[in-house]
Amino acid sequence: MKTIRSTQNIFPMKYFYSIAIVLLLVGFHHLAYGQQPIVVTGVVYDGQSKKKETMPGVTLVSGGKVIAQTDGNGRYKVTVSPNSEITFRFLSYVTQSIKVNNRTTINLTLMGDENQLNEVKITMGYQTKTKALTTGSTVTISGKDIQGQPASDVMSLLQGKVAGLNIQNNTGAPGFRGSITLRGISNIDVSGSGSSSFLTPTSPLFVIDGVPVDDNTNYSYGFQQAGPGVSPISQIPAEDIEDITTLKDAAATALYGSRGAYGVILVTTKRGNSKVPIVRYNGATFMSLVPQLRNVIGGRGERMMRINQILQNDTAYYHAIDLINNSPLLSDSLNAYYNNSTDWQSFFYRNTFNQTHNLNISGGDVAFNYKVGLGVFDETGIQENTGYSRYNLNMNMTYNPTRKFKLTGQLQNSIQKQQTGSGNGLLNSGIASTGSASSLLPSPSLYSSSSGVLAQLKTDNDNKILQTFATINAEYELLQNLKVATFLNYTNSSGTKDNFSPAALNGNQSEYYTYNDRATKLYNRNQFSYVYSLTDKSGEDAHTFNLFAFTEINSSFFKADAILNQRGVNDQLRGPLTNMTNYLTSLGGTIDYSDRRSVAFAGAFSYNYKQKYVLDLNYRLDANSDNGENTGYIANPSIAVKWNMEKERFVEKLKWINYAAIRLSYGSNIQPVGNVFDAYGKYTGGQRYNNANSIIMDLQRLPNLDLQPTKATTYNLGVDFGILENRISVVFDTYYKQNDNIFRYKNISTTNSFGSVASNEISNVNYGWEFQTTVRPLSPNSPFKWTLSGNFAINREVLAKLPDGLREMIYYDTSLGQDIYYRLGTNSLSNYLFNTKGVYSTNSQVPVDPLTGLPYRTGGTGVLNYFRAGDPIFTDLDGNYVLDNNDKVIAGNSQPQVTGGLMSYLQWKNWSLEVNTSFTLIRDIINNPLARQLKNFGNPWNVLKSGALVPLEGLDYWKNSGDVAMYGNPLDFVRSGIIDPFRIDQTVFQEDGSYFKLNSIKLYYILPKTFTSRFGMNRVSLNATAANLGFITRYTGPNPENVTSLGRDDSGGYPSPKQFTLGLNIEF
Amino acid sequence: MILLVSCRKNLPDNRLSLAGDSQFRQYIYQPTLGRNTLFTNNFTYGNSSRPLNFKIVNMRSFTGEAAPELTKLYPVKVWKTAYDGTEKSLEEIEAKRVTENHPLFEIRPHSGEFLMWAEANSNMLKAQPDSGYVFDVEMSNTGGRKYFQNFRLSPLRERPYEPSNLDPITGQSTNVSVSPSGIAIVGEKRKQPLNSNDVRVLFKKIPANTPGYSGHSLTFKFIDTLSQIIDPNKFARTDWANVVHGFNMVKDSEKVKYEVAYPIPCTSYPTKYTTSSGDRATAVFRFDRLGFGGVLQQCSVSLNFKIFEKGDWEIIFWFKTDRPKFDND
Repeated sequence: MKTIRSTQNIFPMKYFYSIAIVLLLVGFHHLAYGQQPIVVTGVVYDGQSKKKETMPGVTLVSGGKVIAQTDGNGRYKVTVSPNSEITFRFLSYVTQSIKVNNRTTINLTLMGDENQLNEVKITMGYQTKTKALTTGSTVTISGKDIQGQPASDVMSLLQGKVAGLNIQNNTGAPGFRGSITLRGISNIDVSGSGSSSFLTPTSPLFVIDGVPVDDNTNYSYGFQQAGPGVSPISQIPAEDIEDITTLKDAAATALYGSRGAYGVILVTTKRGNSKVPIVRYNGATFMSLVPQLRNVIGGRGERMMRINQILQNDTAYYHAIDLINNSPLLSDSLNAYYNNSTDWQSFFYRNTFNQTHNLNISGGDVAFNYKVGLGVFDETGIQENTGYSRYNLNMNMTYNPTRKFKLTGQLQNSIQKQQTGSGNGLLNSGIASTGSASSLLPSPSLYSSSSGVLAQLKTDNDNKILQTFATINAEYELLQNLKVATFLNYTNSSGTKDNFSPAALNGNQSEYYTYNDRATKLYNRNQFSYVYSLTDKSGEDAHTFNLFAFTEINSSFFKADAILNQRGVNDQLRGPLTNMTNYLTSLGGTIDYSDRRSVAFAGAFSYNYKQKYVLDLNYRLDANSDNGENTGYIANPSIAVKWNMEKERFVEKLKWINYAAIRLSYGSNIQPVGNVFDAYGKYTGGQRYNNANSIIMDLQRLPNLDLQPTKATTYNLGVDFGILENRISVVFDTYYKQNDNIFRYKNISTTNSFGSVASNEISNVNYGWEFQTTVRPLSPNSPFKWTLSGNFAINREVLAKLPDGLREMIYYDTSLGQDIYYRLGTNSLSNYLFNTKGVYSTNSQVPVDPLTGLPYRTGGTGVLNYFRAGDPIFTDLDGNYVLDNNDKVIAGNSQPQVTGGLMSYLQWKNWSLEVNTSFTLIRDIINNPLARQLKNFGNPWNVLKSGALVPLEGLDYWKNSGDVAMYGNPLDFVRSGIIDPFRIDQTVFQEDGSYFKLNSIKLYYILPKTFTSRFGMNRVSLNATAANLGFITRYTGPNPENVTSLGRDDSGGYPSPKQFTLGLNIEF
Repeated sequence: MILLVSCRKNLPDNRLSLAGDSQFRQYIYQPTLGRNTLFTNNFTYGNSSRPLNFKIVNMRSFTGEAAPELTKLYPVKVWKTAYDGTEKSLEEIEAKRVTENHPLFEIRPHSGEFLMWAEANSNMLKAQPDSGYVFDVEMSNTGGRKYFQNFRLSPLRERPYEPSNLDPITGQSTNVSVSPSGIAIVGEKRKQPLNSNDVRVLFKKIPANTPGYSGHSLTFKFIDTLSQIIDPNKFARTDWANVVHGFNMVKDSEKVKYEVAYPIPCTSYPTKYTTSSGDRATAVFRFDRLGFGGVLQQCSVSLNFKIFEKGDWEIIFWFKTDRPKFDND
């Protein structure tokens, strides 16, 4: 029988309560009388909180009556009879009943209810339900689990915590976030080339307190260089988050319809709930340490290495002498820079101290409560001239004067500032090239040609984002069980980017790039819900019907303007525009513009029989202005059933089973793709004709009136159970998710006037298994509380359809040759590389053409073109004894197939220790930096061209005939230009990118209350956190996570710093 | 689980693709008999996935009869180890190749390149001017198969050496001699530099029944306008050891003779005995003399050549119009 009451009345729980309370009243009525009442006081502590916080708002019930609530400090004072029993109740905590037994002080700790299935509320499809009635596959992470570790982006802290949610924190750049994919990739479209090629991001939809925020649009990723790239989700500090729920299957996401195809992540922020205002302060200082950088050979060591290499490997002695003498940096002993040793990396990297502070004031009761949060986050990047700061003011209040009416208002404001140096934040090719320059070159100054350093240090890059997010939510209960509600949200975000590049870097004329954008969004949802129950003979609700419907309107606008002024007068004058004669030379204008509308109608019908059998039906109709005219409304149905087995008699007999349920769901979701120009074409002003202005069509893109949104169809089967008094709880899910209508521009025949068309002809399928478990190995009576949780997800991805019925397609990487192969029936993003099978240890190993008697060769027929000992063994796929582009093979998968994490939480008295780890397995990474390091030996005489030399010790490379080695001979510079033994597109550099990461270790200590109360503080806790500590991996590069979404390690990437934090949390 | 299995059945299987734009660029193949011929660069992969498998099918004569001579296996010499010009003996070279049985005309199984073995000759095959043979090619991979039809194979008659004075179609000589590749010699009588009209080269194969026949020798001779022998020693600056990749040199006043491995050059790998491209062997004969005014003249005659047919060959430099002037001015 239920004893906990739902806060939302859309559910018929209240009957249970009424009955329960009536029964209690009847049963215990007489017992409460007859003794002299005594005053009992005490404090209620939160057993879930790592910091052992007190619990305000706990309801005390005695004799069936609510007798008190704890105050803001968790204290209570009641007058009861000495032998009565007090029941402490709080939502989603285990209700405890304690006999007074003449005690006057009763302190107790309420533990979170481990019976997750019944008490935890899940918000799904804009409705809150108990877990028992939730048919979808969801995972909720409490805000408490992600605290104590400062992060500019809260999502990075979820890594390894949710099965199936693959988070790769692949950049250490402050303010940027890594890639997030839920249940495998949903898009196969790759753009860009070389290191900056990236997979079109398919982040889940974020819903912040009931309002959808799309993260995939505009310049949120920073790859597109035009504007500042700050993710909208990063404006919420981790300290402000109540919980984060990940919705994985279509039954859970169905009502989010449009934009829900990539999964949905719900973020709920904290509310106030204490009569006495509570002031909480959380502050931390943290140190970011530069990770291990490359070892390079410097000064004389480098010079001698180059000279020896030339002498030992050139074709002739005199030619070698000539090469050396023609290179002044090697031979000119009178040169001021002879044996010079510049540590280039030191110019770019630094250790930094940073801080974050959050102040929360909250208070109120059920009728009216409020919360105001002030936050500062300031992080200086470990690369010079980079950093991120955020200032935010978040407020919310709830007004609930009667049971029938509720009004919630919320306002979130933030200012975010970002410096990205000379790069775009995520990539910094200037650092990659200059940071790896030869140590023999003079150190940077205005008079040397080391512009990479100057660009990084002298470029003034100032990005600012101002964001306002305001929501009003009103609910009213018209009739018994019939509720209407409305949500209105307005989001305004404006970003500016000013990038000043001094004259010294631009041929004596400074350059000034200035950008500003404005994005607004208006969102409105009107909903109603109705509950109807049929009771059985015993008066219990047996058949419960729930009808829920809403309409949703979304209007968003985005406009970005930029201007590039290339002829600055001097470095002091930074605009307005100078010297510009007309618009064309100013290179300015609107570079991006969108104005979108979407409308949706949705309905949900839910039925359950005694909460034992649950059926959910959802239906949603979506129309979107980005779609083609012929697309119209798209329907997204879903159906889900659930069987809560623990409510069956035969399971109730099995005492060791606490709960068990089976879920089954099917449904679909969409995600609008493309833009209005793809559907309707783009019209621009043309030349004047007949003395009249003409409007002509942009022939670049053929309009596609049938442009469809991407559609994801998911089948999900899940099992949940908890056994042995919930000491072991397990969630298992298996799914099949099909993404259809994946968007990609398709080039069309040149006989056509148009260049390309937006097409929806790609499909892929993800299927997999997810497993999540929590174990409490110690007995509940032990002074130690130890919780172990772990999860892992196996995801398989298969390409199912390509445009025009093709079976395969290659995306050619024009700059690095690391092509991507799309083939039906296998993983979408296969690398297409030369297959390296080792190194020829002797000349006789080189295969010989039986007809011509010639050894295997590459390119032409010069004597240097034939392979010999010390060269890599490349597979000759077509067997013509010539290595060419037809010999590339499909090798590897850049997407991880297994992800997960393990967490341990141990509490003892005032101490607690938390360890977070995560892992990513079966993933291929291409180690480009290693290839470049080996390539750098190819030009020993040309110091400018070859870059820094990295010590070869420790590398398994070929030295003498007969050596069996992994890498070819890097010293043979005569032939390296022809053979290209370290070509970047070969499998020897494709390494196993599996890793096990130690995400963080957090240690908390709560100061004794007797001590802190002397200073008027209620609770003080300290924490020390070490984050991003290291990896267990076979990957030979620096960091297997710090790679692009396509699995390419790139020396231009921003390394992830190690982070050490000291935090202080005070509650007044 | 059942759901998952049933859904997976709908996924496309992972097989290779066979695209319509995969094409042969060349349909008529005219190899010269008596030498190894490889036709490269004759196939465009297009969008088909590698590896592809190729097979010659339906080999027939132009008139449609079966052509067993092209499907039967013949012993042919194949290279097992690369020839690189550093071999010290004939045996060392021979150890690098073995005899295997192959059809005379083959297609490389994965690249679509055609090849004809040197063992094919005009006695076995229908050489031009006959119309030759017609055949089809089957291309396949796991994605399916495709046929290319009506390829023509019209072998040209043997020309056992290059540069050649033989007509490729009839096999008859159109000229007695060929030109040398380089001449820097002054004539004795006219005291003018000789040109390729004045110096001719004759290739001569010694019949197998001649005494001393070995089947693997090459002799250089020099004759004057009256076909009288010029002493090879007069080409005093010649690097005799490296004229050809030969062994056991015998040099007397009439000739210089080497034991050699055929064909010459063995492969087209560039060595010190070949042109820089490795395409032909190069034989250079030099002498120095003092010219008018005491100028040192470095005189030479050279020939870039190939010989495909095994035997005892003689290359004769015929100073047709004037003797070379060896002595000083």
